[in-house]
Amino acid sequence: MSRTVLCIDTEDRISAVSSAVESEEDLSAITATSVDDAIDRLETEPVVGVVTAYALTDGTGMEVISAVREQTPQTPVVLFTDVSPAEIDTASFEELVVEYLNRDLPDAHDRLGFIINDVIDHSAQVGFLTPDDEDERLEALEQYDIEELPIEESFDRITDLIAAQFDVAVAFIGLIEEDEENFLACTGADWDSLTREDTMCTHSMLQEDVMVVEDIADDKRFNKNEQLENLGIVSYAGANMTSSDGHVIGQVCVLDHESRTYSPEERHRLEQFADTAMEILELRQAVRENRSVEVQQ
Amino acid sequence: MSLSTDQFGVSSLPIDEIENGTSVLLTGEDTETLKTVFARLVAADEDERSIVLATNSGGRSVRRLLDDARAGAGSRSSILTAEGPGRDDDVTAIEDIGDLTQVGMQFSSLVASSQQSTARFRSGIFLCSTIASEVEDTRSVYRFLNTNFLTEIRRGDGIGVVAIDASADLGTDVDSMIAGMERSFNARIDVDKTGYNEATLDISGIPGHEGTVDISL
Repeated sequence: MSRTVLCIDTEDRISAVSSAVESEEDLSAITATSVDDAIDRLETEPVVGVVTAYALTDGTGMEVISAVREQTPQTPVVLFTDVSPAEIDTASFEELVVEYLNRDLPDAHDRLGFIINDVIDHSAQVGFLTPDDEDERLEALEQYDIEELPIEESFDRITDLIAAQFDVAVAFIGLIEEDEENFLACTGADWDSLTREDTMCTHSMLQEDVMVVEDIADDKRFNKNEQLENLGIVSYAGANMTSSDGHVIGQVCVLDHESRTYSPEERHRLEQFADTAMEILELRQAVRENRSVEVQQ
Repeated sequence: MSLSTDQFGVSSLPIDEIENGTSVLLTGEDTETLKTVFARLVAADEDERSIVLATNSGGRSVRRLLDDARAGAGSRSSILTAEGPGRDDDVTAIEDIGDLTQVGMQFSSLVASSQQSTARFRSGIFLCSTIASEVEDTRSVYRFLNTNFLTEIRRGDGIGVVAIDASADLGTDVDSMIAGMERSFNARIDVDKTGYNEATLDISGIPGHEGTVDISL
């Protein structure tokens, strides 16, 4: 399937850039030659990556990058320019972070195709860290036919029980996919999914034990996250759902609208709920696979 | 000389070699001890180049540190420093360590330039905790590490070391943050100063060298 990359450069240079991108298999380019044009295209076209020049007729590539980070923060961007980093005005764009590729390098256009392909394939510019077994973890997650498994009622019951047990505003079970967290059950809120870098679970899943954040206002990992603020989240505790082959595929979590602590016993209990949710998922999957084998026989 | 083309030899530490592509999280609470171990890991051998982002040391100081770790390593380094002036082509000054867009571009540019002459590299950040304390949103630090540091190690012929002062006030739960970073990096070395000129390393993720080992500083 072809993946679309937005290329932005001046009229006299844009075709060389789009050709470099399209030299890569599976990549197709759409083009823009101004900041305004680029922002319009970002709003109307689904793109998986962006290549932009720095100097544009109506502004700079930094304005384009700012728009990308605002609309789809996980989309990778390559700044492809012959302007040196020291000459680029980043004063108003201090935390955008992109890959810089010097257009003056002898093999710059060949590199550009490789690099944009690479950053797309590896989700290389996301604002969260992934576990070192991320590829295997995603493969493990794919083994579950989530859409087909009759888990909804069981999981709803579990999150109801968790919310009552901990006396919290929200309890949920979420699976952590490559780019987002999908909520399978949620008591106290109506959430379907959240961009992964906006979630607390993508941090929690990296910890072996339960991650507790007593007040996100005191934690720089989360206190500038508008999504969390909009959802009214103040405190958090999350326990890992670990598959039988050892990969963390999801989280069982409790949230509250006020600051709170969790005792060692409460943390242990949350882990027990997470283990129970994982068991249900594995049992339902096993039953489905056995039925499928029986039907084939 | 390196022991083999896929490995990076380490001088003055009881680690024979580190595999190409390895990212190392280096943690500890004594900055000077951390700095010494960092230099021993990052100092370039003759067929390599070091690319160092130094948040709290000037270019001359970093070169001296690398030279102490391995003879001549200082002259095989490109340094991006937030302390003191740029000196020549190999020491570039950055004004604001919190401007990760600028820092990231400069760092990527240094890696690309060094690879024009020498493919093998050792990159290092000393101290990532200083960066984390300067930025407003920690997601930017992760984006910087992914975009401008871990990606270069994954693509190129190199290793990378990120040092964190675990005693620093980062405006977050430092233990939780380090636990998360540890899962994302290939290896971790925790440095504990045990006496004058002595330290213990707790090593994980470097095959053949798991566990604790005492070193002289």
